Amino acid sequence: MNRNRFILHLNVADFAVAVERVVDLTLREKPVIVAPLQAARAAVYDMSEEAYRDGVRKGMLLNRATRMCRKARVLPPRFELYRKAMGSFVNEARSYSPVLEYGAEDGHLYLDITGTHRLFGTPPDVGWRLHRQIRSKLEIDPIWSLAGSKLVAKIGSRLVKPVGEYIVADGEEQRFLAPLSLNLLPGLSSVERQRLGQFNIVRIGELASLSRVQLHGVFGRRGESLFALSRGIDDSTVRPEEDRPPRLVRDHIFSNDCADRSVLKGVVGALAVQLGMELRSTRMEARRVGLRLNYTDGTSVSRQASVRRGIADDDSLLGLALTALERGLTRRTRVRSCRLIGDRLHPRSPQLRLFTDPTTEQKKEHLLAAMDRIRQRFGREAIRMGSHPVLH
Amino acid sequence: MRKDRTLGPATALIRGEQSESSCLVMTGTSGYSYLEWVDSGFYPPGTRSAAMLSLYGRSFSVVELNYTWYQMARSDVLARMLAAAPAHIVFAAKLTRTVTHEREEDWREQVQRYRQGIGALGKRLAAILVQLPPDFDRTVSNRHFLAELLDYLQGMPVAVEFRHASWAVDTVFAELERRQVTLVSVDEPDLPGLFPRLDVVTNPALFYVRFHGRNEKGWKNGNMQKKFDYDYSEQELHQWCEHELGSLSSRSRRGIIFFNNHVRAQAPRNALLLDSLIRKKVGRSG
Repeated sequence: MNRNRFILHLNVADFAVAVERVVDLTLREKPVIVAPLQAARAAVYDMSEEAYRDGVRKGMLLNRATRMCRKARVLPPRFELYRKAMGSFVNEARSYSPVLEYGAEDGHLYLDITGTHRLFGTPPDVGWRLHRQIRSKLEIDPIWSLAGSKLVAKIGSRLVKPVGEYIVADGEEQRFLAPLSLNLLPGLSSVERQRLGQFNIVRIGELASLSRVQLHGVFGRRGESLFALSRGIDDSTVRPEEDRPPRLVRDHIFSNDCADRSVLKGVVGALAVQLGMELRSTRMEARRVGLRLNYTDGTSVSRQASVRRGIADDDSLLGLALTALERGLTRRTRVRSCRLIGDRLHPRSPQLRLFTDPTTEQKKEHLLAAMDRIRQRFGREAIRMGSHPVLH
Repeated sequence: MRKDRTLGPATALIRGEQSESSCLVMTGTSGYSYLEWVDSGFYPPGTRSAAMLSLYGRSFSVVELNYTWYQMARSDVLARMLAAAPAHIVFAAKLTRTVTHEREEDWREQVQRYRQGIGALGKRLAAILVQLPPDFDRTVSNRHFLAELLDYLQGMPVAVEFRHASWAVDTVFAELERRQVTLVSVDEPDLPGLFPRLDVVTNPALFYVRFHGRNEKGWKNGNMQKKFDYDYSEQELHQWCEHELGSLSSRSRRGIIFFNNHVRAQAPRNALLLDSLIRKKVGRSG
């Protein structure tokens, strides 16, 4: 018999607006839009429920948003403030369980409270107490929902948004999901929704009535995930920070927003070199490089490139980083900041490679080691490969 | 008094001095879905929450639903619960916190929604428990609120649990009697400011008792695992049986008794012990 799991999902709707309203009480119950003000084609980063009701949506052009909601107060995003608020939010939750998973500054938090009943009482009581604690200490009012999985708890939160609570009892999952719209099902792409719409399937229960074979026939291997999703089956665990796979991150913020490809290449190249130095100093290798570009209008795009064999040398890392950049640079909008992420890390094998010329490998390694020593002594910009893009 | 053999588990029929009057007394617990009760042996190892109500029904015939306090009663959920529950079980359900403890502006609409939701229990609803917060004292505005709330709940079997001592006055009891609303008798620590242990009957159709435990040290602690950690001794329950029970049952046609000291499954253990004492008493009298 499976063990009962209890997952709490807390979600502060419109997190950035909620934080701004704590700081400035005059913003309460008024329409608020958070968007970068200086950008020519700024996009909405977040908006209040009042603005949402007027038709404003995330990612919408600010000009259009302000036309739709003329009374809205427009504020520039303050990411550092949101990060701090998120930290306090997480700290309150930590007093009930060490197993929690959360995003950067999005007001979402999963808490696995399985097995804490002897310490804190029944799971619904923990949800209620934590909610009350957050509301009184931080003055923000998160939605809380309780279920046996992350998937069902998240759907419960979506159902009561922007405020409220939802408890899905053990064994109730499928009956809870059945009458709900497919729009509430996380992980379903718009293309998949459209495809299901062609079969006149608009509710989760209708999707759940399809067999594995039927789903495979239409969606191929993806059919298996849809089969589980529609039945509320989700065995994924709440992954605390320390359990997440290690990764290396390097950030760059442009002093002036930039759309010049050669400058962008230079910056991404420099970040790749930094990543390489870090990998080599810890004797690690990465198999994937990801790049996140944050545009001046508040939108962002993430792209990745990967290899089968672990790498730690500047040339290979630069190759992957530039591939990711090419994949990500689909707009002419200026870039405000970028983040390079090296992940799928593993320790470097001490074994020599069988089918490469050992002398060439060794020469390359010696050269990189010498360059690393120079950079450590005289700074990161002290030396670079002639073939690498220049950091402007 | 005598025992009726056709009754469900933890139920006794207490006959009064005059043979026409009798009181059906059912004993149960506040809530039934506690994983802790698996650890403590009340439920078999590996029992999941979904299977607990059926197992609970093997020992008891009445249960107090706690979850309706945390979130609004919904008819579809309750109807499904009812369909899966043993047929002999009846329910008492707490009124939602957003009406009593964290009152919201639209509480009147919420009471209507609650009535609609709880309606799914039909005749198996023994009582709606209106539990009022500890700081809810007898002020003019609170009296008005309570009167209006009871108006909104008119026609439903209602029991009111006060937790502030200021409500322990005859005028309050008289008004509850006029409205045919049950006053909940509480058994809790003997601390100043708390509503006293009384055996007042305001509604002859139903008496309602809640045993919270007498943990004086843990009572003020915010942690419910400490607050409700108490194991009633046989002597304490025997004493209650001899004094309060006779007084309550002689003036009522039905009575429901709940144990709220859920920690380490003390509630079901104590409820079964009290039931056995009541049955003994019934047997003696019979």
